[in-house]
Amino acid sequence: MKAAAAAGLFAVQRCRVCGHVQYPPRACCAACLADDPAWEAAAVRPGTVLARTVLHHSHEEMFRARLPLALALVRLAEGPVVLCFAPDRPAIGNAVQVRAALDATGHAVLEAR
Amino acid sequence: MSRGYDDIVAAVPVTVPYVRRSEHGADWFLARALAALVAQSGLRKLVIDGLCASSFTLGPDTAVALTQHVGLSPRYLEWLPMGGACGVVALRRAARAVQAGDADVVACIAGDTANDGSFRDLLAGFSSFSRAAVYPYGAGGANASFALITDAYMHRYGATRQDFGRLCVAQRDNARRNPLALLRGALTLEQYLAARPIAEPLHLFDCVMPCAGADGFLVMQRGRAEALGLRHVRLLGAIERHHAFPDDPVQLRGGWAMDREALWAQAGLAPGDMDVVQTYDDYPVIALMQLEDLGFCAKGEAVAFARAHDFTVDGDLPMNTGGGQLSMGQAGAAGGYLGLVEALRQLTGTAEGRQVAGARHALVSGFGMINYDRGLCSAACVLGQ
Ligand SMILES: [Zn+2]
Repeated sequence: MKAAAAAGLFAVQRCRVCGHVQYPPRACCAACLADDPAWEAAAVRPGTVLARTVLHHSHEEMFRARLPLALALVRLAEGPVVLCFAPDRPAIGNAVQVRAALDATGHAVLEAR
Repeated sequence: MSRGYDDIVAAVPVTVPYVRRSEHGADWFLARALAALVAQSGLRKLVIDGLCASSFTLGPDTAVALTQHVGLSPRYLEWLPMGGACGVVALRRAARAVQAGDADVVACIAGDTANDGSFRDLLAGFSSFSRAAVYPYGAGGANASFALITDAYMHRYGATRQDFGRLCVAQRDNARRNPLALLRGALTLEQYLAARPIAEPLHLFDCVMPCAGADGFLVMQRGRAEALGLRHVRLLGAIERHHAFPDDPVQLRGGWAMDREALWAQAGLAPGDMDVVQTYDDYPVIALMQLEDLGFCAKGEAVAFARAHDFTVDGDLPMNTGGGQLSMGQAGAAGGYLGLVEALRQLTGTAEGRQVAGARHALVSGFGMINYDRGLCSAACVLGQ
């Protein structure tokens, strides 16, 4: 997972039975309840910005030095909606490419460019 | 259509006064609410044979442990971790329990504490989805989630900061008449617009202030309330819905839109019959959305509706008459009770200093639990004298 993120890749789940694509990951397909959803590369094509915010306040010390922080809610071409960092501050309706990156604590996070 | 609630009533609205922070635990606030229900009803504690409880900060305990804390032996027990929907849902569940004879008197209580660590801990562990896919994005909490919804709503329907500001200012006017409100200083539209940004497009006065406190009420048969000499309010209709409209890419409507016709049909009333409205208002956008989704106006027209109406206590559509959460503060799960308790006060003629003259019918709605990108719990009820 981390290696994939370092390479900018991230995955969503696709149901092996009905093809439903979902994020965040869960233990079953939310459409048909089939077990063991498969992982596949996401955001192969650009997604669309649904909404944005710029944070001027954070509940965590590690983010405070980085404020203001721009975020966006993006609908992936595959269907699911992801929250991601959006440093370029895109407008609603803009097409953006979502990529994974490693944050300061080594966790994979999503970023729209 | 689900059956009506016959002669089931709610009575004895109580509030354990809100404070910005407290060294007491949630158990203390819930116990004070229960003690107030006992004291103000004149009932012996053990006559209470049903309990509905909600809290974010009672952990690791639930309503089960609470029975031992407060020495109750209920034959009906509900733990309702539904945040802003928990008050209406508690009333709905308790009414059915009393109607079916599974309980005689149900105490419904919600409360939380607030201190330096409690709020951050709550946010960090709020849900598995939020831990994985929201909190790592700046830890903005509910401010960030509602900022995104507000941005989408403004873009789609042309709402402006002035529109949200007028609602916040009207509610502050109401709060100035409510001794229980934490925020009672005058607020002008100019001050609202000049406030510092928190999570754009939200600024300071758009964001509910976390605090500690508790609220509660009792549910019983009307005959019992009359025998006890308690002022009471009938439950005329109630709905709840969870995870409505999962295919909407961004939340521009809540579960009320699925069930409002059932609500009004069950109550035998229409939005225009409401003398008082209590919407869930941790952020102004959601209060406006409820007016649309509950049928007070068409989708996307809440802004025009709000411009055409006066939401103050003396206005033509008194809304959030105690000041709402935006001026009273949000005492965790008690935020889901605040509108209900205020409606009970209005309909029993006990809303001192802010009584809406001749108030006979009220709508109360709740909204809770942003699990990932949207609030999952919606509820509403219609109350009548
Ligand atoms: Zn499936």
